[in-house]
Amino acid sequence: MADFIQLFINGLALGSVYALAAIGFVIVYSATGVVNFAAGQFVMFGTFAGVAMLANAGLPWPVGYAAALLAMAAFGALFFIVVYLPLRTSPVVTVIIGTVAVGIVMQNAALLGFGSWPFRLVSPLEGITIDIGGAAISAHAAMVVVVTGLLVGLIWLLFYRTALGIGMRAVAQDVEAARLMGLNVNRLLALSWMLAAVLAGIAGLLLGPMWFADVNMGDPIALKAFAATIIGGFGSLPGAIAGGLFVGLTELLGASYLSSAYKDLIAFAVMILFLLVRPQGVFGERIQDRG
Amino acid sequence: MRRYHSLLAAVAILALGGLLSLVLADYRLRLLNVSVISAIAVIGFNFAFGLAGLISLGHAAFVGLGAYTLAILSTAFGWSPWLAIPVAILVTTLFAGLIGYPLLRLRGHYLALATLGLNVSFTIVVTNWISLTGGTNGISGIPELRLGAFAFNDERRFLWLGLVLLALCAAFAVTLQRSRYGRAMMAVRDDETAARMTGIDVTRVKITALCLSAAFAALSGTLFATHVRFVAPEDFNYAHSIIYLAMLIVGGEGAVAGAVIGAALLTFLPEWLRFLGDAYLAFFGLMLLAILIFLPTGLVGLAAQLRRLGGHREAETTS
Amino acid sequence: MTLLHATAISKRYGGLMALSEVDFRVAPGEFVAVIGPNGAGKSTFLNVLTGLTPPSAGRVLFDGRDVTRAPTHRRIRAGLGRTFQHGRLFARLSVLENVMTGAAIRTDRTESQLRALSLGMLDRMGLVGEAHRAVGSLSYGQRRMVELCRALACGPKLLLLDEPAAGLNLGEVEQLMARLTALRAEQELAVVLIEHNMGMVMRLAQRILVLNFGCRIAEGSPAEVQSDPAVLSAYLGEGYGNAQH
Repeated sequence: MADFIQLFINGLALGSVYALAAIGFVIVYSATGVVNFAAGQFVMFGTFAGVAMLANAGLPWPVGYAAALLAMAAFGALFFIVVYLPLRTSPVVTVIIGTVAVGIVMQNAALLGFGSWPFRLVSPLEGITIDIGGAAISAHAAMVVVVTGLLVGLIWLLFYRTALGIGMRAVAQDVEAARLMGLNVNRLLALSWMLAAVLAGIAGLLLGPMWFADVNMGDPIALKAFAATIIGGFGSLPGAIAGGLFVGLTELLGASYLSSAYKDLIAFAVMILFLLVRPQGVFGERIQDRG
Repeated sequence: MRRYHSLLAAVAILALGGLLSLVLADYRLRLLNVSVISAIAVIGFNFAFGLAGLISLGHAAFVGLGAYTLAILSTAFGWSPWLAIPVAILVTTLFAGLIGYPLLRLRGHYLALATLGLNVSFTIVVTNWISLTGGTNGISGIPELRLGAFAFNDERRFLWLGLVLLALCAAFAVTLQRSRYGRAMMAVRDDETAARMTGIDVTRVKITALCLSAAFAALSGTLFATHVRFVAPEDFNYAHSIIYLAMLIVGGEGAVAGAVIGAALLTFLPEWLRFLGDAYLAFFGLMLLAILIFLPTGLVGLAAQLRRLGGHREAETTS
Repeated sequence: MTLLHATAISKRYGGLMALSEVDFRVAPGEFVAVIGPNGAGKSTFLNVLTGLTPPSAGRVLFDGRDVTRAPTHRRIRAGLGRTFQHGRLFARLSVLENVMTGAAIRTDRTESQLRALSLGMLDRMGLVGEAHRAVGSLSYGQRRMVELCRALACGPKLLLLDEPAAGLNLGEVEQLMARLTALRAEQELAVVLIEHNMGMVMRLAQRILVLNFGCRIAEGSPAEVQSDPAVLSAYLGEGYGNAQH
């Protein structure tokens, strides 16, 4: 039982990270219609922003975290200008491949900057464990779950209780109508990219101490975030959360109880099954290809 | 005149490749072999992506399935590779047809994600089914291809074989593209509903395109296996699918010439840009992005644009 | 003799009845117009007939066969043809290739036969000079004529035209009417025309079906429909006014 509780909490923590990555992915998709195949590299950038600020620059962790997220927000804005704006009228295919190309650039830029040797990103709660039902839970894993819960609440408040968030939702629903309502569409789209980048950054900072900071970590995260998005329902925020938690839990529980070699296959098998049987996912929202 | 296009493509490949096979040194010949093998896969990919508009990020899985089928049949079962090649192509094509039925109901990014998942799943299975595939150690000792006493066991000889096969593949692809079947695929790519409205069975056209692309991929995979004589999971992971995609986009999607040019260019480019060192892949990504933004029709499209521009000038000066 | 026979076609979208129990017959070679205000269900009706939208209830018989559940391409191969309201061409194929795609519906035609047939079709529509152009470089009117050529190249017995005159200038509308008339003089071709241009409808149609809110409110000869009080009050006055400017 203690083993199960430990696995379950760790699975929730990993799932929370996937959920955050998936939420960033969904926000960008809803707002701009872009399926961001570089989403995993955003998370990797988040981890390395943490490495740069905490390990390399030696900042105390509150300052370091804030600086890392600020850097991610700036990166989101840069991505908006350099990648999104030039490709915004291109066909879906082109945009997909464009983000794949950017992902390659990001991964190899990190390789150039940090080398292929993995880094260790130390958690502020390093070494602390909590006893739950006889299971020793790492405080960091518990913090990941709590922080993700808080963030989900904040995102909900942003989208449903602030003028800014409602504007972002309006743009996501209908760009032309939003423009006619006098909203500054480009500013809201840029904010969506920045928000997605910050969320990916938080995911990266939380993930860093759980894995090693490795420049190749982006792809596996992206694949899990995609699986989470499909399972939960493309374009749905609750779906991204549920899907992320599901993928994280199957990964850890599956590795332990079924097969560690095939643990990743479970998530993809479920994803492909959903694509075939229920492509709108659990929290199915509208399915449509945007031009 | 028009019907000689396919012949022209074949002759161009044989002549240029044959010439290069005589003048290039062994290491360059090896790269040329890699180009030829990739080009066959990319010509196949062009059926699915360039003609039928199917966004697949899993083409390398088909290449891998072909390569592994040949590797297993020719090592564990001791088959002649000549016999294993058609069987590998058949197995891969059947597999593509089988998964095509459910998969091709998906469009756009859904299809991209599903095929990406397929490629990742392929890698996981090949890595972990150790009794059959040797896991990460791969399968070595794949026999060489030989005709009687003539073994295709050095780079130059293998290249001749590869060039002949590539020429045949290119001629077939050019012929198909200019036929009703090619037009049906392009019609499906451009507008599915309108394609239905001209009596086209869209599902069948898509599955045919996927099966054709898988068959070419499998041929490429069997050549890969008999060239390197060793296969391992990382040769067929989804990064390779993205490279095939990039080759087609750089060369010019929708065109056989684009597939061949893109495959050759992206095989030699790391060599030419060796001074970039670790920065090559970052450059590669930037180049791909720049081509998507500024040159969406690839090098072949650029050539056509330049020709049109030239023609335009001529017309202006004569009038 | 009935070529197309649709019985009690209904289409429901949630609580909205887009079509309710519409009966419709077309005889071989007949020219029928379907008119009605915007949102009357005309395009939905064509979608049901061509199999793009499954009906909630009702049956479609074409050429003696029940095609209610048949996929679109089967219906087209059986002799149904259609053009779209806003024109849908294969954007990256040339004009000729677009038409050849239609002609290829008969699998026994060789490539050169496809080419000859399609060029002939383009010639008849006055577009042979544009055969090798990219469809993107054509004018709107030309694009719609190419779409018509493509549908005709399929050799339909019944052609469904969804607002073919929309967006055309007066001269182009005249040309379109002349060519449709000439075509029908040469071969037996039934036409169902959806159109807001009442002048065109009145000149070409032998019979008119009037839809409003998904229901059939009148059917008859142009003269009958024009004098039908239900039509006049529901639609025609307003529609006629629109067509004049």
